[in-house]
Amino acid sequence: MTQPLPTTLQGANLAVSTRALRKRFGTVNALDGLDLQVPTGAVYLLIGPNGAGKSTALRTLLDLVRADAGSASVFDLDTIKDGPRIRANIGYVPERTEWGYPWMRVGQLLLHHSAYFPSWDAAYAARLITLFELQLDRKLGGLSKGQARRVHLVVALAHRPPLLLLDEPIDGLDPIIRDETLSVLAEHFSDTPTTTIISTHHVSEVESMVDCVGAMRAGTLRAQLSLADLRAGLRRYRAEVPDGWAGAPALNGAVLRRAHAPREIQWTAWGPEAEISAHLTQAGAAIRDVAAVSLNDATLALLNPKADQT
Amino acid sequence: MLFAIDPADVRPIYVQIMDEVRRALVVGTLTADDPLPSVRQLASDLRVNPNTVAQAYRELERDGVVHVKRGQGTFASNLNMNGKQRRTLAREVARRALRDAHRNGVNAEDLIWAIQAAADKSNRQAP
Repeated sequence: MTQPLPTTLQGANLAVSTRALRKRFGTVNALDGLDLQVPTGAVYLLIGPNGAGKSTALRTLLDLVRADAGSASVFDLDTIKDGPRIRANIGYVPERTEWGYPWMRVGQLLLHHSAYFPSWDAAYAARLITLFELQLDRKLGGLSKGQARRVHLVVALAHRPPLLLLDEPIDGLDPIIRDETLSVLAEHFSDTPTTTIISTHHVSEVESMVDCVGAMRAGTLRAQLSLADLRAGLRRYRAEVPDGWAGAPALNGAVLRRAHAPREIQWTAWGPEAEISAHLTQAGAAIRDVAAVSLNDATLALLNPKADQT
Repeated sequence: MLFAIDPADVRPIYVQIMDEVRRALVVGTLTADDPLPSVRQLASDLRVNPNTVAQAYRELERDGVVHVKRGQGTFASNLNMNGKQRRTLAREVARRALRDAHRNGVNAEDLIWAIQAAADKSNRQAP
């Protein structure tokens, strides 16, 4: 009756795809059958609670983590067999900012990376360094979290790779630099054909940049769809209901988030608006308002552990 | 012209950008043959995906609101602002007001009456 949340992106030309990826750390299933599908050219937002497996998923694509089962490909190359070729085409901002070589200076690190990547754009790197107010003579070990993040961003962007993996790229940045970074990313997407996966908790800040959303929980995708489909299919319904209202059993499975008050409900539900509205009306609710939800509210609904769909 | 968009708005962002261009044309902050910001510039200013800006510009071009000069960019078209665009904008404002009214338990009839009363009052105050 009700429709399940989509977990596959139909008909898209995929830059990244994983099939039934599994990874166990001790007793924890970090990845539990992950089928990631990232269309070429998309800005793909990966959301999920801490420990959902987002960082592990990104690290698997870089072959920094080897899956126990399943497979992953980037630009139709196998992540295990073609690791070096794939990594040469990825810009990566890791979630953790500590360095293995704290004695190295920012300038040395950039020089080192420029030698590795033939497509390194020195003028662009210089512009980013100025924009991010980075000092080349500082030692990596002495950088704050925000400064380290910005160094990682320069390293990831300056060789204009076809794939960007950004793990919490704006976390730890002050509001001004964060805003500047989003502007830099928008420009970067205009200038360079890029597929991007962003994992972040700062959902509302990247909302207007995103094409696709993957909602991860316990190592697997609960939903994977385009932002347009998400906006069209997920709505918040406010309605007046009679005293002692029995609910709308026909909508079991479709309601992802419920708020109740005496004689009033506010439900976030997945499905065609006309259908959901008809069921609510049939059940005796008088709909007052149907609204699109922000990506932040959508995140809360998609990841709600108490949702009907599991 | 300046753009204001709100990601939480019911309208998709590309529609908001289209509405902002129409609004600027109606209020006169954008006039015929004025250049629009480049896709890159506007995407960067609004912190939105460049594809979204490009989509808005494409649809505006299809609607005849803007035109593209090859190699030069996108420009506002010469439109009769007393006509179709103004009505399109008015309909959108009306739809928003109706939604808001319904949310507050006000029906269309009461809303129209209240708008008329408020308009009469402000006309009396501002000659």
